[in-house]
Amino acid sequence: MKWKNVVRLISVETKSGRLIRGQRLRRYRESRVFQYLLYGGACVLGLAIGLAIGSFYNGTSDSELKSLIYQGAYHFFPSLPTLILISSMVFTMMAQIQRAGVRFSIQPQYWLPITWEEHTLASTLAHIIGAPLVSIILVGSAIAAFSIFLGELPLATFTISASLASAFLASTTTEIFRVLQVRLTGAVYKASGKAAVWVRFIGSLLFLIAFYVVWFALTSGAGFVSLIEVVAGGQEAVWFIPYLWLGLTLASFMSGLLAQTIVFLLASLLFILVLFYVAVGLNARFGLYEPPAITVSRGVYAPKVGLLGKLGFSSLEAAVIRKDFKAFTRRRELMYIFIMPLVFILMPLMQQLGILGEPPATESSRFLFAWILLGPGVIMAVMLGTMIIGEEGGAVWHFFSSPITARSLVKCKYAFIVIFSCVVTLVCGVVGILVTCASPDITVALLIESILLIFALGAVSLGAGIRGADFTEVPRPRMVRPLTVLVTMLLCLILASAIFSPLLLHATTMGYLTIPVNLPKINLYVAVSISAVIAAVIAFVFYRIALENAKEFLIKAEI
Amino acid sequence: MVSNGESAVELRRVAKRYADIVAVDYIDLDVKHGEIFGLLGPNASGKSTTLKIILGLIKSDSGSVKVLGTNAEEDPVAVKRQVGYVPETPRLYEFLTGLEYLDFVGDIYAVEMSEKKMRIEEHLEALDLEGREGDMISSYSQGMKQKIALISAFLHKPKLLILDEPLSGLDPKSARIVKDLLRKLATHDVTTIMSTHILEIAQAMCDRIAIMYEGRLLALGNMEELRQKARLPGSDLEEIFLRLTGTGDIREVVEALLK
Repeated sequence: MKWKNVVRLISVETKSGRLIRGQRLRRYRESRVFQYLLYGGACVLGLAIGLAIGSFYNGTSDSELKSLIYQGAYHFFPSLPTLILISSMVFTMMAQIQRAGVRFSIQPQYWLPITWEEHTLASTLAHIIGAPLVSIILVGSAIAAFSIFLGELPLATFTISASLASAFLASTTTEIFRVLQVRLTGAVYKASGKAAVWVRFIGSLLFLIAFYVVWFALTSGAGFVSLIEVVAGGQEAVWFIPYLWLGLTLASFMSGLLAQTIVFLLASLLFILVLFYVAVGLNARFGLYEPPAITVSRGVYAPKVGLLGKLGFSSLEAAVIRKDFKAFTRRRELMYIFIMPLVFILMPLMQQLGILGEPPATESSRFLFAWILLGPGVIMAVMLGTMIIGEEGGAVWHFFSSPITARSLVKCKYAFIVIFSCVVTLVCGVVGILVTCASPDITVALLIESILLIFALGAVSLGAGIRGADFTEVPRPRMVRPLTVLVTMLLCLILASAIFSPLLLHATTMGYLTIPVNLPKINLYVAVSISAVIAAVIAFVFYRIALENAKEFLIKAEI
Repeated sequence: MVSNGESAVELRRVAKRYADIVAVDYIDLDVKHGEIFGLLGPNASGKSTTLKIILGLIKSDSGSVKVLGTNAEEDPVAVKRQVGYVPETPRLYEFLTGLEYLDFVGDIYAVEMSEKKMRIEEHLEALDLEGREGDMISSYSQGMKQKIALISAFLHKPKLLILDEPLSGLDPKSARIVKDLLRKLATHDVTTIMSTHILEIAQAMCDRIAIMYEGRLLALGNMEELRQKARLPGSDLEEIFLRLTGTGDIREVVEALLK
């Protein structure tokens, strides 16, 4: 294995972050300070946290508290590799879901003289860069600093090394999952024939649901604390699971069991090695596997006017809306848009059903209903608005070369955002009504409110999405510049508060919310009417801004 | 060159810079109605930028662009309605099937329903894509994608075709069909401007050829006029091209590479 090749491949992966729209790429100079800022920041923050806890530990005279902190650390250290394993698995899997659906065989590493070992190692390590590495640096530097006060620096060093190995283990597992998933889904598509598109869509949704149910169950509220307790106390009982061997190595080391430490350490290293070579073998066999062609339609071609045409959209606008609908149900990397409504429905449902601990008291149902009804559609409108232009990727030339006006572009994209988000709101509303049995007046008011928010915030985010679009597609579609997302989210939060404030006022005066100030009573429908006026003004102003941005976007034609 | 009022495309003193790089350097160009016009030049000579300026994809820094009697910078949408365009590396919507993609393009250009159906079916049959039209484009070969891009450019019966490397990746039969189709369209007054690096194709197909180099027009005319300009009577387009662009003395370069 040539290590230089591995390093070069990793750097290719990390440098893909340079391709952000609007950056001058000629005579490119990279600020190393900025490149490592995130990791440096995590390290400084971790050290500060560790020193703060350590100083508190040293300074306190309460021996009971001191013992509690020591016991906590004693439980936390051997659990850390397993916790890092779980979180890294989630991060790397999420990154995998968002990867571009384009064929990767077009990338040079497949025809350059690079071995599968080098390729797999680089891919595995590159997955760790980012969120997994940041979390390890943050936690690692915190426990390193704290361990000085405990006099356990060797243990901390061992823990950090085990955490890094755990992240590698998680990333290798994701690599194996990725290759198998491509091969298995290929076989499923082949077997499902014409239904392959829907099999893929429903399969992806089911995967996301399963993934998030497990994730919430493990990490939400008391779940996270109990997870540490379970890992710390229970990993010895299930010692035969190889993924826990790194944690068991640490636990054995802390108990002073030298022989057991060596056995688990060697077993862990062997397991990582075996898993890595399984990944190499699978990559060599299926790495360049091309999934079979998905046949969507057969038979006679019969073009129709369709519902959109009857609703007053021109053929051009209807064509773009139909194309976008197909994009969001067929492109794997766009399907993550459905995560948000799933999260919003699943979390309270799991809470209600007692999966995440004690079910909430019945009086919280009103807020639960508001959460389910308002959240998904509105957040979806904001997300869709920011990404709906950038998701075009390299195919954006169709807009530049076709006779589409700024007015038509904004109209059809806005219509898609509103239609899609309203459907999600209706579905969530039905779920909310079934779960919380909300009263009719609250149901109607919240439904109107969520539609108002969708119209207003959809226009806001669309205007921003046109300006901040990013058409980079490989290795993952960026769709929108990060700064645009941040600014849009903040702006939407402020404007949503403004639209929702009359309803909050109503809730306060009706006693649903308690504040120490006496406010004049406001009728529910008056509150909704005021909200409607605010939303209409915001929607109008930002629709105009979106139009101006679209005009500039079509003139610039950055291709 | 002076416009006689019959040009399909008129460029006057058109210039475009990217920071300190001159992409197009004050060129004048007239392309007549029903002409097959070749735009040649080495890499980064300004061909693609010129084609994009004609289509209104890029705004020139100075000069005027008239396409089919319309100012391309004042009313780009009117120009785009009458133009069929195939970029150098067309990125299609890979999640659509070939048929869905062509249906999408037909609707974008507001092609009437029955005509759209007829034209799509005819073109799919002519370019041997029948039987694969229901498959997602992601499973198509490069040549098949190029065929779909070409059909989408022909679909709305444009008066001007702007084709950047149109025959790239096509099999010999399909390439022949496209060449014959372009010639036939020229007789129906459809103008074609094509850019290609395959000089044999340009020589065989184009009525007139322009050779660009570093953003400037080095030569413009039919084969005979180009031979005269290069002072190479009886020579082919490759020799003329290499002489005019100053890349003729390649023997030394090859020998240096072999060392």
